[in-house]
Amino acid sequence: MKERTNKKGKFGDIKKQENIAGYLFASPWILGILIFATFPMIASLFITFTKYDMISNPIWVGLANYKNLFFHDSIFWKSLWNTIYHVLISVPLGIVAGVILALLLNTEVKGMSLYRTLFYLPNVVSIVAMSLLWLWLFQPNLGIINEILAPLYKLFKMEPLRWYADAKTSKMTLIVMGLWTAGGSMVIYLAQMQDIPKSLYESADVDGAGWLTKTFKITIPLMTPSIFFNFVMGLIGGFQVFTLAYIMTSGGPNRSTYYYSYYLFDKMMTDRNMGEASAMAWVLLLIVLVITVLALRLNKYVFYLGEED
Amino acid sequence: MKKILSILMVLAAIVGLVACDKDGKDGRTEITFWHMFPVGSVPYAKVKKVVDNYNNSQEEYKVKATGFGFWDYWDKIDIAISSRTTPDLGLNTIDNVKYRANGKVLYNISELIEADKTDNNIDLSEFRDAHLENAKFEGELFAMPYSATTRVLYYNLDLFEEVGLTEADVPKTWSELKTIAKMFDKEKGGKIERLGFDPTYGQATYHGWLWQTGEDFFDENLNVTLNTQTHKDVLQWMIDFNKEYSVTQLSTFGESNQLLGTGPFASQRVAMIIEVDDLYINLEDAGATFRYGVAPIPVPDENGVRVNWGSGFSIEMYDNGKKNDEKKAGAYDFLKYLMSYETQQELSKATGWLMSHISAMKDLVKDDPIKKKLLEEVGYSVERRYVPYAPQWTAGDWQPFYTRATERQDSVEKVLADARAFYQEKKDNYERTNK
Repeated sequence: MKERTNKKGKFGDIKKQENIAGYLFASPWILGILIFATFPMIASLFITFTKYDMISNPIWVGLANYKNLFFHDSIFWKSLWNTIYHVLISVPLGIVAGVILALLLNTEVKGMSLYRTLFYLPNVVSIVAMSLLWLWLFQPNLGIINEILAPLYKLFKMEPLRWYADAKTSKMTLIVMGLWTAGGSMVIYLAQMQDIPKSLYESADVDGAGWLTKTFKITIPLMTPSIFFNFVMGLIGGFQVFTLAYIMTSGGPNRSTYYYSYYLFDKMMTDRNMGEASAMAWVLLLIVLVITVLALRLNKYVFYLGEED
Repeated sequence: MKKILSILMVLAAIVGLVACDKDGKDGRTEITFWHMFPVGSVPYAKVKKVVDNYNNSQEEYKVKATGFGFWDYWDKIDIAISSRTTPDLGLNTIDNVKYRANGKVLYNISELIEADKTDNNIDLSEFRDAHLENAKFEGELFAMPYSATTRVLYYNLDLFEEVGLTEADVPKTWSELKTIAKMFDKEKGGKIERLGFDPTYGQATYHGWLWQTGEDFFDENLNVTLNTQTHKDVLQWMIDFNKEYSVTQLSTFGESNQLLGTGPFASQRVAMIIEVDDLYINLEDAGATFRYGVAPIPVPDENGVRVNWGSGFSIEMYDNGKKNDEKKAGAYDFLKYLMSYETQQELSKATGWLMSHISAMKDLVKDDPIKKKLLEEVGYSVERRYVPYAPQWTAGDWQPFYTRATERQDSVEKVLADARAFYQEKKDNYERTNK
């Protein structure tokens, strides 16, 4: 009996020591998150209830910042709509582009690793450099894209598209440009594709299934975990869209690419209205949180290999 | 023994660090100064020499100057002001000194000038009243005018000669401007090859043209106006100036100017342009091969006001709330040095900027006819009014409306009505949280 107790005590000590060691190892991260994330977040929540111009002391104004945003700020709603439009189109389009790329790059062709590298490369290019490059490609009067499309414009007797310089096409132009980085999600899809057991394809071959059937009945269903992951991450990232518009269009023309984060940035940096900027940040957090929770409900349609039913 | 040694070493390090922080290596009080010429830029070494001269001229203070790139500078100084980690002295925009003075981050320079009984005190009579007025908050000076920017009409004398004009024909009024500008226009195959002038090019702005009529975006109580016939007429005049060309023709021409990277005036694709005094430095540095001159911006035919947008810099003494009187005294001593006749001349030579010291600049530019004219126009420069509810009222706030108008997407009436509603909304929202 005594021996058993001792053993238990010894085990308990080890567990305790392990816990201490674990916390010690994690402590830099815990301290980091408390100091650099939790504190600023709490501070920003407090600032949402104040008038704060980044110089003078914050003055309590209650819910006035939120009231201004929701009931008296037309640009707030415009920027929110611009962002929702961006998310609604760019997220599904990004998934489709990523999956198609992965399917293409999952074939056995010579020099495949080179192709994979080439398609992934845009993800390591600075977004500023990339934006400037696209700026010239899509340049309405002198850009190469309109030069290539010139015969089509002539054929259909239409005016050349002004891409980012026209409020009607600017959002779509930025979305199309965003597809340039589809190689990032492609890598995840490709990794999952290569995890699909070959035996499933062999059985399908025996049953006489073609490429299309195998793609839609085996590959895509078994890729749903990574599609779901990219969908959720795309939603979260999509609501924070900022850089492309900041560099390429300055939010124009006619505020058509003035996204939520851009407006938040301007509230803070140009209007020096930290109260409303912080309120916008918290509203964005809530929007993203609600949409992510709703998106997570789609998890029931995700098929995890090896899971029962 | 080891413990004692360790303690002694730690103590020595602390004493050393404290000493460094307070007095620098040679026991002098360290003053920090931020400017806009980073290491590697042409003026850096010259600005450094100006600072070194000060450091060698006395033994009480040592100025440590740091230069940042122009665009980086604004982020750095803004964040430093918010976090109270500013240098002792720095440059800023003179049109919003009131914002910082109201936020109590600036030392009251009027008090320092008044308390100073030395011979080398700042002589305020050497600075323009309009510039000093911009640096004031509640009647007291919280900054000093540092540089003096001005906007003028640049004209290409070679192109003037080509169309049979001389310097005597440089336009003085809006109607003259249009008549003369049209003599330079060149079009080939539907593409513009040259324009005489465009009132939206370079540093020409709607508010700049508006000021020449005596109007502004806001009245004296900062209520948004933008609703008079003059507001509409001025905007319409800008749009109609080159109305014989389509928006596509004009935008293609404008974009190909950008492609050249030199600017439309330097590439002789426009005969006249409104630009700041910096263009003169750039043209000289680039070794412009054509003859050119500068003149006051043409004014409206009737009751035109000779005025141009300044946008100069202020120099400010930052109060970080540390109550360090030694640093404050040192910063003021260095400020006096920077504001002196000789240093203002040295700074102008170093940077190419027109500085704010009147007689220093007058004497310096007397043999340079272009700079002389530029300096004359400084006397007619005006700063944007500080509008707390729309600090960037000429930039991002106005740009979407301006683009709609200049691209002829909407009538000027609609654009101005929308702009007015926008500024009004900003004002109402501001007032709700600033009762």
